[in-house]
Amino acid sequence: MNSTDKNSRAEQIEIDASAKWPVLIFFGSAIMWLLLGGALQLIASIQLHTPDFLSACAWTTYGRVAPAAQNALIYGWGMNAAFAFGLWLMARLSATTLRHGGWLFVAAKFWNVGVALGIAGILGGYSTSFELLEMPRYVTLILLVAYAMIGVWGVTTFSIRNTENVYASQWYLFGAAFWFPWLYAIGQIMLLKAPVRGVLQPVVNAWFVHGLYGLWFVPIALASAYYFLPKILGKPIANYYLAPLAFWWLVGATAFAGGSRLIGAPVPIWISTLGGAANFLLVVPVVVIALNFFGTLAGNIAAIGSSITIRFTLISMIGFVLASVLNFALSIRGFAQIVQFTLLTDLRDWLIFYGCFSTAMFGAAYFILPRLTGLQWRSSALVTAHVGTAVLGVLLLTVGLAYAGWTQGKMLNDAAIPFGDITKAMTFWFTFRSVGLGLLLIGHVAFLINFIWIACPINSRGTPSAQFSNPPDLKLSNESVTEGHA
Amino acid sequence: MKNGLALFLGVFATLALSWAGLLLTAHKQLGSLSQFKDPVEETLNPLPLSGLADQGRLVYQDLGCVSCHTQQVRHEGFGADIERKWGQRASYARDYIREKTVLIGHSRLGPDLRNVGVRLGDTASRDEYAEWFYSLLYAPQSKAAGTNMPSYAFLFDVHPTAGRQASYDALKLTSKFAPPAGYEVVPTARARALVAYLQSLKDTYDYPTERSLNTPAEISKEGAH
Amino acid sequence: MSSSPDNNYRFEQAGASDDSIQQVHAQLQKQKPDKKNGYSFLPLGVLGLMCSSVFFGSIYLAHYSVRFDPLVVNESAKREKPGAVVVTAVPPAVLGKKVFTTICAACHQVTGLGVPGIYPPLAGSEWAQGNEERIIRIVLHGLNGPITVEGKDYTNAMASLGTVLKDEQIANALTYVRQEWGNKAPEVKAETVARIRAEVGPRTAPWTSAELLKIGQ
Repeated sequence: MNSTDKNSRAEQIEIDASAKWPVLIFFGSAIMWLLLGGALQLIASIQLHTPDFLSACAWTTYGRVAPAAQNALIYGWGMNAAFAFGLWLMARLSATTLRHGGWLFVAAKFWNVGVALGIAGILGGYSTSFELLEMPRYVTLILLVAYAMIGVWGVTTFSIRNTENVYASQWYLFGAAFWFPWLYAIGQIMLLKAPVRGVLQPVVNAWFVHGLYGLWFVPIALASAYYFLPKILGKPIANYYLAPLAFWWLVGATAFAGGSRLIGAPVPIWISTLGGAANFLLVVPVVVIALNFFGTLAGNIAAIGSSITIRFTLISMIGFVLASVLNFALSIRGFAQIVQFTLLTDLRDWLIFYGCFSTAMFGAAYFILPRLTGLQWRSSALVTAHVGTAVLGVLLLTVGLAYAGWTQGKMLNDAAIPFGDITKAMTFWFTFRSVGLGLLLIGHVAFLINFIWIACPINSRGTPSAQFSNPPDLKLSNESVTEGHA
Repeated sequence: MKNGLALFLGVFATLALSWAGLLLTAHKQLGSLSQFKDPVEETLNPLPLSGLADQGRLVYQDLGCVSCHTQQVRHEGFGADIERKWGQRASYARDYIREKTVLIGHSRLGPDLRNVGVRLGDTASRDEYAEWFYSLLYAPQSKAAGTNMPSYAFLFDVHPTAGRQASYDALKLTSKFAPPAGYEVVPTARARALVAYLQSLKDTYDYPTERSLNTPAEISKEGAH
Repeated sequence: MSSSPDNNYRFEQAGASDDSIQQVHAQLQKQKPDKKNGYSFLPLGVLGLMCSSVFFGSIYLAHYSVRFDPLVVNESAKREKPGAVVVTAVPPAVLGKKVFTTICAACHQVTGLGVPGIYPPLAGSEWAQGNEERIIRIVLHGLNGPITVEGKDYTNAMASLGTVLKDEQIANALTYVRQEWGNKAPEVKAETVARIRAEVGPRTAPWTSAELLKIGQ
C-alpha cells in the first residue's frame, strides 16, 4: 500500500513538472483572450442599446466586433483552455509525462498568432460571415498545423499510456481531439475552399457550429466533471456502468443534431427533422450523465462549500443540463417558431460555451495551477469574487435572456407591432446583458490577477507555497468494499 | 473500454456517419439544383446576380450584416414572416443558387432582408430605392426612427460643393441629417455595390414545383377537434 | 474532508489518487448494480427511456421528413407520393402582373392610371373591363388613333404585341388588368386569345376604335 502510494505520488510530480510550462502557456494565453474577447463582447453589447458607441470607424462597428468577440472567446479562450486542461489530464490519466514540451510551445505560438491574425482580419473587413468560421481563409492553415501539433501530443500521450484501464474522461478527451480537426477541416473545405452550392452552405455551417459546441466543448467539460468529482470527493462516480452508454449515445446523436438549428429555414425539411429527432434521443445520455454527476454529489453537499473546483463543476453541470433542455426545446417546432432568431437562441450557445464549458475550465485551473507551480492562490478574496460573479452572472443572464428572448419572439411574431417597437422594448434587456457581461468580466479580471501571482515567476515572492498530501486510494463504495482494489 | 483501436474506430464512425448521412446526402439531393425555366415567359429563375451586386455581397459579408439580419422567409403558418411583408412566399432552396455565399443568418436584431429589394413596393422607381437605401445606411434614424442600427457614414464621402459640379447621386437628406451647408454626401463605390446587392434581394418568381410540393395538406384534424 | 476549510480556497487537496480512480471505475464498469429485490429499477428505467426515445424519435422523423423530399420546406406539406401531388397553379392575375410591369407599365404606369392626355388609364377604364374580344385585339395587333377612355380623348398609337407575347402571357396580363386597381371583370382565357389570333389571321395594320366598337355589338 505504502509503496504504491509513493509511486503514484512520485509519478504525479514528474507528470506535473513535464506539463508545467505548456499548460501555463496555454492557460496564460487563454486568460488574455478571455479578457480581450470579454471586452469586445461588452462593446458589442453596449452598441445594441447605444448604437452610436464607437460606430464612426468601420473596425469597431457591431457587425465586426460581435463576431470578433465570439471568435476571440471560442478560439482564443476556449481552445487554449481546453488544450491546457486536456493535455494535463491526458498525461495524468495515462500516467505518463508530456514529452518534448518545447514543441507545444511552438504550437501554442502558432495557434495564438493564428487567432490574433484571424481576429484582426475580422475587424479589418476580411470576415467570411460564416458563423464561427468568420476568420479569413489565410489563418486556416496556421490553425490546423498548430492544432495538429497539439492534438498529436494528446493522442500520443494516450497511446503510450502506462495504465491498464481507460477512464471516462479519456474517452471524451480522445474523441474531442479527433472531432475538432475533422469538423474544422470539413467546414473550411466545404464552405471556403471548394464551396458547396446554395443552401448547402447553411447546412454545413450548422453542422460545424453544432459539432464544435457538442463534440468539442461539451466533451471537454464532461471530461473535467468525470475527473474532478471522484478526485476531490474521494468517492466513485455513481452508476458508472452507464457511462459508456451515455458516451456513445451522446456523441452519436449530437453528430446528427446540427440540422435542428435550421428549423424553418429554406433547406429540405428532413434536415431539421433529423436534427430534432437526434436532440430528442439526447434525453437518454443527459439523464444518465446527470445521474452520474448529481448521484456522486448527493450526500456531499458540504464539499460544495469547501472546494472551489467542485463549485465550478457544479455550475458547469447545471449549465450542461440547462443547455440540453434548451437545445431540446429549440427543436420543438412550436417553440422554435417563437424564439428562433432571438436572444434565447444566443442563450443556448452561450450556456454551452460559458455556463458549461468555461466554468469547468475555471474549476480545472483552480485545481491544476497550484500543483504545477507548487504555490497557493494568493488572494482568496479574488477567488471568491470570481466564483461569486460567475454564479450571479450565469444566473442573471440565463433568467434575463430567457425572458427577453421569449418577449422578443412573441413581438416578432405579431405583425401588428412595428419593428422599431421591438427594438425599443429590447433596449432594457440589451442594457441588462451589458451589465451581466460586465459583471463576468470583473470576475475574469480577478482570475487574471490571481493567475499572474501564481504563474509569473517575477511576482511569486509574496505567494506562499502549497503543500500537497498524498491522496488516499479510492474505495469502492459501501457493499463492494470487500473486493478492494486489484 | 480498454481498447484504444475500438475507441478510435467508434470516434471515427461517429463523425463519418453524420457527415455522410447529413452533408453528403443533402449534397446529392441539392448539389445540382438548377435554374427553373418558366414555360410561358421562357425566363430562367432565379436571375444571376449582376457583377456590381456580387461585389456588394462581399461588402455585406465584410461589414457583418449577417450578425443582425436574416435572409430567409419562413413559410406561412410558421412565424409571422409573410404577415410582416418580408416576402410574398416562403424562401425555397432554389432561390439561393445564385449567391456564391449564402448567409441565411441566425439573428433577427434587425428585420429580414431576403426581399428588401421590393420593400417599398412596385411603384417606387429604382432611383427612389437607391436613395432610400443610401439614406438608411448613412443615417438610419432618417428612415427608421428608433432603430439601433449603427450609421455606416464611412461608406460615404462628404465633400464641399464649391468649385465642382453637383453630384447626380448626392443624398437628399433633410433637417438634422443633412450635411453642413455647402457640403454634399456622395456614396462611395462600396456603398454603391452594397446597395446594388440589397436591391437584388427579391424572390418575386414563384416556382410551380416548390409551390405545389409545399402547399399545406388540408388539415382535417383541426376541423375534427 | 479533501480540502481543509482553513486554506480558504488557496489550493485543494485531492481525495483520491489517479490510478485508484482508474482501477475502481474499471471494476465498476463491469459491475452491474446490486439486485436487492430481485431486480434493480435503474437499468430498467434507462432501458425504457432508450426504447421510448428511439420509438418516438423515429415516428417524429418518419412523420415530419415528408418523404425526404429535397424541395419540401414546409412540415405540414402534403405527404402523398410526388406524382400524386397536384400542381397548384399560380393565379393568372399574379402571373400577369409580371408581364404588365415589364411591358405595359412603361406607358400605362404601375398604377394603371396612364399619363393624362398621352396614355389612357386602365384603372376604371370601360375598355379594360369591357368586351374581352376588343382588348385582346388591341394587344395582339396594336391600336391607332383617336380613342375615348373615361370621357377623355387620346390620339396616341399602341404597338402590336402579338409577336412578342404568347397567348398565355396576353391572357394573364389582361386578367391582371381586369382585376387590379378596383377593376372587376372576368378572367381572360388563353384559349380565347388563341381563337381570336386564329380568326383574325395575319394582320399587320393596327385597329382603330371605330373598328373595335363594331365587334360584339
